[in-house]
Amino acid sequence: MNKKILLILILLFITTGCTKKDNELNVLNWSSYIPDSIINDFEKETGIKVNYGSYSSNEELLAKISTSKSGTYDLIFPSDYMVELMIKRNLIDKIDKNKIPNIKNLNKNYMNLEYDKNNDYSLPFLLASTVIIKNKAIIKDEINSYNDLLNIHYKDELIMLDDQRIVIGLGLLALGYDMNSTNINELNEAREFILKIKENIKLFDSDSPKNYLISKEVNLGVIWNAEAALVIKNNPNMEVIFPDDGFAISIDNFCIVKNAKNKENAYKFINYILRGDIMAKIISEYPYKNVNKEAEKYLDEEYLQNKAANIPDDIIKKGIFVKNIDEKIKLYDKTWASIK
Amino acid sequence: MKKKLLILPVILYSIFLIICPLIYILILSFLKSDSYGGVIFTLTLENYKELFDFVYIKIFLKSFVIALVTTLFSILISYPFCIFLSSKKKIVKDIIMTLVIIPFLTNSLIRTYGVIILLRKEGIINNILMSLNIINNPLKLMYNNFGIIMGMTYTLLPFMILPLFASVDKIDKNLYSAASDLGANKLKIFKEIILPLSIPGLFNGSLMVFIPCIGFFFIADLLGGGKLMLLGNLIKNQFLTARNWPFGASISIVLIIVTFILVSIYKKLGGKMEDLGGM
Repeated sequence: MNKKILLILILLFITTGCTKKDNELNVLNWSSYIPDSIINDFEKETGIKVNYGSYSSNEELLAKISTSKSGTYDLIFPSDYMVELMIKRNLIDKIDKNKIPNIKNLNKNYMNLEYDKNNDYSLPFLLASTVIIKNKAIIKDEINSYNDLLNIHYKDELIMLDDQRIVIGLGLLALGYDMNSTNINELNEAREFILKIKENIKLFDSDSPKNYLISKEVNLGVIWNAEAALVIKNNPNMEVIFPDDGFAISIDNFCIVKNAKNKENAYKFINYILRGDIMAKIISEYPYKNVNKEAEKYLDEEYLQNKAANIPDDIIKKGIFVKNIDEKIKLYDKTWASIK
Repeated sequence: MKKKLLILPVILYSIFLIICPLIYILILSFLKSDSYGGVIFTLTLENYKELFDFVYIKIFLKSFVIALVTTLFSILISYPFCIFLSSKKKIVKDIIMTLVIIPFLTNSLIRTYGVIILLRKEGIINNILMSLNIINNPLKLMYNNFGIIMGMTYTLLPFMILPLFASVDKIDKNLYSAASDLGANKLKIFKEIILPLSIPGLFNGSLMVFIPCIGFFFIADLLGGGKLMLLGNLIKNQFLTARNWPFGASISIVLIIVTFILVSIYKKLGGKMEDLGGM
């Protein structure tokens, strides 16, 4: 019996020793962003083994990258402000654009943005935007601004992202201030505004707010556009609104970690994902705003007609990035703690 | 020598997985945050001073109230259950206690999702009550403090039942007959016999319910709709969104101190440390 166990252990050692270390790619991405089938197709086509890990916030990604041994991860997908922060902290490497011919597919509107002026370090993957979503059948009033959410008839009808920058930012926008303000008086005013809205809020959720709207637990919400698009797909009575006050946008990017061991494979992967047909597959599964010109040719009517998914470029222009505010984040954290 | 070798794994485990992380947290709590999730190596008491801000004191108080109410609820549910069960045959006791333990085999996060299915607007409880015409509008059973307390009580109930039952079951049943022969009613029997004799179990259970209660951030998020920030949520936020690890560490240290205080109160009241560990 003991011999058998020993044999199994030896076999295990041998097999683990066998896995080729040289043809791998270690990807760290947001959970549910790239369908497994696409990873499998990439592996089949190139013979590169993809080790896929996930994270659920930019801060978690930052913690993983700055505390792990260099070379643990190759390819990551930080959002705009995190790209800027990671450049500052020397955590990501310059991208050799010659190795990614499919760069030409990218929509120029979403390149050379302020967080990485020449796209030296990052390439846009997709764009997300916050939207107001409402169930037309139940909420009949017109809603154009966050101030309209204060209506006393909406008690327990509202869902919001459980995200301090987005929610406090929304309060700032409603009051006509900068969404990234670090002025203490403005933040206090925003807090009072959110506390008023909180009377109507049934819950804060960032993981899957769509479920609550689909099950009609709530009929009004401020959520990410991809979630809203899936809600609309499920219930055509749902409508998205891009409020006049402004709204948050966020672009997730391909970035290569400093001292990555498998850079060549990372370039191959980025190039593969940037192919129009592949990007279209990703986008139809997770309907964020597409930033790939070539993919538009492959996208189906369902995506193109969905106002939450296929947001026109001129609306996106009104969107505002959540900016890195360094140590001032403490102000937001405290405001958030006093809101809850 | 052999005996010493046998306890070696436990010692190594304690050193590497309990003591080292604790020292790390303690040191971290006296350092400065660089606001990128890292630290600057300057000693400071800033993180502890910050805790005295009214905003954070309120979170402490709210957490303690929720934990206290949860503990009271679990006591109220557990006592009748334990007293009832202790009068049954051994086989019945064994079966029922196994049933109490079984939920432990499932992850508490998954069980919390189970609670959601019961409590939500279109959930099982509301559907049954509506179809029986007992209520016209769905009850608001979750996304409020009630939901949080229900969820916490449900998740932590076995921690109360197990030690309490061990204490109640040990009481000599002849005492009950003797007392009622002497004219004591049920309430008096409970007050004069059961309560004093089951104090160790009661306190043990209360500690085991109260302390995790403060840290269960996912229950407050899922059943409270993320509208109430408890200490657990505050600590989580420091690590995951505010990128302020030292502040998170200082809150954790204060929480550990509070736990120590509770245990020492228990000792002052005459409780034995062995009773806390053994059931």
